Amino acid sequence: MSLSRRGFLAWMGAAGITALGSQAGATPRHFKGYPQSLCVLHDITLCIGCRSCETGCNKVNELPPPAVPFSDLSVLDKKRRTTAKTYTVVNKYLDSGQEKKPIFFKTQCNHCLEPACASACFVRAFTKTKEGSVTYDASVCVGCRYCMIACPFEIPTYEYDEPLTPRIMKCTFCHPRVTKGLLPGCVEACPTEALSFGKREDMLKLARERINKYPGRYVDHIYGEHEMGGTNWLYLSGVPFRNLGMREDLGTTPAPELTSGALATVPMVAALWPVLLTGIYALSKRKEKLLSGDKQNALAQALAEANAKSQAALTAAMEKAKREKEEAVQKAVKTALEQSAKKTQEQ
Amino acid sequence: MEEVKSTLRWTAMLCTAVGLVIFALSAEGYKAPEQKAEKDRADIILIDTSPVFGRGDKPPVAFPHDRHTEIMAEQKKDCFLCHLKESKPQAVSAGPAPQPESTERMSLKFKRLKDTNLKEVRKIYHDNCIGCHMSMAEKGQEFGPIICGECHKEGAEYRSARKPSGMDNSLHFRHTKAAQNKCETCHHAYDDKAKKLFYAKGQEGTCRYCHQMKTEENRISMPLASHMSCVECHRLGKEKKLEAGPVTCSGCHDSKEQMKIKKIEPLPRMERQQPDTVFVKTLGKDEKAETPRMNPVPFDHKSHEGYNDTCRVCHHASLSACNSCHALGKPLKDGNFVKLDRAMHQAGSQTSCIGCHQLKQQAKECAGCHVFMPKGLMEQSDSCLKCHMKPLPDSAAFPKTAEGEKELAKKLLQSRQPVKGTYPQGDIPENVIMKDYADQYEPAEFPHRKVVSSLVEKMNGAKKTSQLAAYFHNDLGTVCQGCHHYSPESQKPPKCANCHGRPFDEGNLMKPGIIGAYHQQCMGCHAAMEIKKPKECVECHKEKKK
Repeated sequence: MSLSRRGFLAWMGAAGITALGSQAGATPRHFKGYPQSLCVLHDITLCIGCRSCETGCNKVNELPPPAVPFSDLSVLDKKRRTTAKTYTVVNKYLDSGQEKKPIFFKTQCNHCLEPACASACFVRAFTKTKEGSVTYDASVCVGCRYCMIACPFEIPTYEYDEPLTPRIMKCTFCHPRVTKGLLPGCVEACPTEALSFGKREDMLKLARERINKYPGRYVDHIYGEHEMGGTNWLYLSGVPFRNLGMREDLGTTPAPELTSGALATVPMVAALWPVLLTGIYALSKRKEKLLSGDKQNALAQALAEANAKSQAALTAAMEKAKREKEEAVQKAVKTALEQSAKKTQEQ
Repeated sequence: MEEVKSTLRWTAMLCTAVGLVIFALSAEGYKAPEQKAEKDRADIILIDTSPVFGRGDKPPVAFPHDRHTEIMAEQKKDCFLCHLKESKPQAVSAGPAPQPESTERMSLKFKRLKDTNLKEVRKIYHDNCIGCHMSMAEKGQEFGPIICGECHKEGAEYRSARKPSGMDNSLHFRHTKAAQNKCETCHHAYDDKAKKLFYAKGQEGTCRYCHQMKTEENRISMPLASHMSCVECHRLGKEKKLEAGPVTCSGCHDSKEQMKIKKIEPLPRMERQQPDTVFVKTLGKDEKAETPRMNPVPFDHKSHEGYNDTCRVCHHASLSACNSCHALGKPLKDGNFVKLDRAMHQAGSQTSCIGCHQLKQQAKECAGCHVFMPKGLMEQSDSCLKCHMKPLPDSAAFPKTAEGEKELAKKLLQSRQPVKGTYPQGDIPENVIMKDYADQYEPAEFPHRKVVSSLVEKMNGAKKTSQLAAYFHNDLGTVCQGCHHYSPESQKPPKCANCHGRPFDEGNLMKPGIIGAYHQQCMGCHAAMEIKKPKECVECHKEKKK
């Protein structure tokens, strides 16, 4: 195939413009969550670190029994994270004030309105349900663990000790229970109502009312209202959220929006490039074909011309020969006639 | 040929190995800079030329002043080794103490009277500091830094633990006693025409009313004024071998030293023609008198003097009546555009009535109940009447004279019926069984009467907050309302379960379910009152046997 440098660049330019065009089409928009979707408001000032939520979660999700019983509160002395066997953990932080009062804070999946895990998953194993939960379908999961890297809250975990059917494990927001009208396991187990459950709009209202009524008790911020585009778990705290190891640098842009531009071009590239490349190939082939056709024609013509020439030469030669022959015959006849006339004269 | 090649190969290998080792070592060699233990000191003076002369090329010097005073004392030298004498300005010369007869005083600057220019000032510091340290070194004594980097250090060797100092009413009383009631020893005013300080009797106020944080045209800054006057007077006293206040930095500015300052108990009242009882004035300077819309508020000025450490708590800008700056109608510039309503009712402010009362509710005796109550102006109108008292039935008209006003205010205040105690013991349920909690625990037994008695005891205590409670609690049933809230005071208030049931009531999001309510109320109260017990779940409700 012979494609000139100029031709290649021209094609690439054209491909680039189509790609840009499709990107501009995916304009940013803000998804405010499914209406009436459910939500938990975690009022950190009310948490007493009793680990009842962990017990409740373990029970309703039928997770393996923990190595240390839930009644043992000494585990709180060390910072823990979610594992494949625990969807939620309570951690203890100390107040920066002089009294060093303990602050307890429960961690689990925040159920983003636009989940990063779902946007990173190329087999669509994650679903943002209209109830608000982000659910996971193990049957399609290929185990790439992109979701674990994508999650800004470091929540999804992997069953590394499961040799044949490892799954991603994370809080399900008790989706099966919630759809039946039951409370999530942790919420039901919480004795102090540090976890309030209701519609997201209502929980936002509740959080604002608490801040308004007890201004000295809370930091004037509802964590999860806008973080990463908003989440279906909200938090109220008496100390700055960064003191509790919560990220305050996440911004308000949902994760999918950050990647949608680049990712949207992937199907375009996948679909268009074969066509494009085939086209380029076909065109260059055609050119080749055209070129080779011309050559053959010329050859044929030349041959024909040569043939015709030689034919003409031949005919001419033949005619000449014929003529010469005739002339020779006539001459011979003439001479013979002259000779015979001479002979007759002489005779 | 083969031999040369082999040698070359080995050399290359060796070079690579050495390079790698060096690289690895240099990477390993990095260590985090060591955290130096910072010393908290109250006497750190930052010798920083940048505010006057602009940024220098060396870091400023943290100078431990008290360390130097100690050494001076050991060597029997006085302050004038470092501080020069300066003549008092004309305006001050006839004015306040210390030593009104003297025309000289101690300059607060180091070895100079004026900040002339960077070069000169730098030379003064370098010559005198290093010079003195060197001479001590020559004498074989322990000596201070002499090399640039020893003084001009990046990063803090010391951490300033300086606490602002001030004079409370107790300390003021000790000073009046020491000055034999001669207020003019310290108090003065400025005569604009004569450009002189003079003593205005009966016009005394806090230093800070005039001396602000920064030096202004005709008045020096508060730090300058206090160091020139307080420290100088103490120093002179010490010179005369009298009992005098501190001359070191830490003496006034160290939190531990501040605790040691003697308190006068009971504190006699400060005399400055203030009223015992008074009506809170509502009309601003230029406002016309009209019939007051609200009942005027009688105010027990005398008692409130005892509730606060200084007059400045309420009289934050002057010792005059609130309405001279905070008017009812038009916001005035003098009052920072704060109207009277806000000046009296603003929550969270120590200078407003309600703000200060709500701060008092944070005392642990009160916080058990009040922690649950929303802050700000109460919506109930009858709580307004606690201050805006109804006129007495026998008083016909509002008196026209100041004396009459004071008398009426006194009468009104005396007519108040402080609420002490609660309903008779027999009418209070002894125990309340809480059996709403799930399958996991036995019912909890709540010692209801014991808790009420303990609250009443705290309410009736000797603390000043209990007086506040006595005046502002409405009724015998008010103490019950800490838990039996959102219902009128009554001997038989609703039970918890009458209102609290299942959690997450969409109709009233703020209302917790019964289990949440119990835990929030019990534990919230215990935390606010700093009651350490109970620590375990089973101390309230025993585990159910399975």
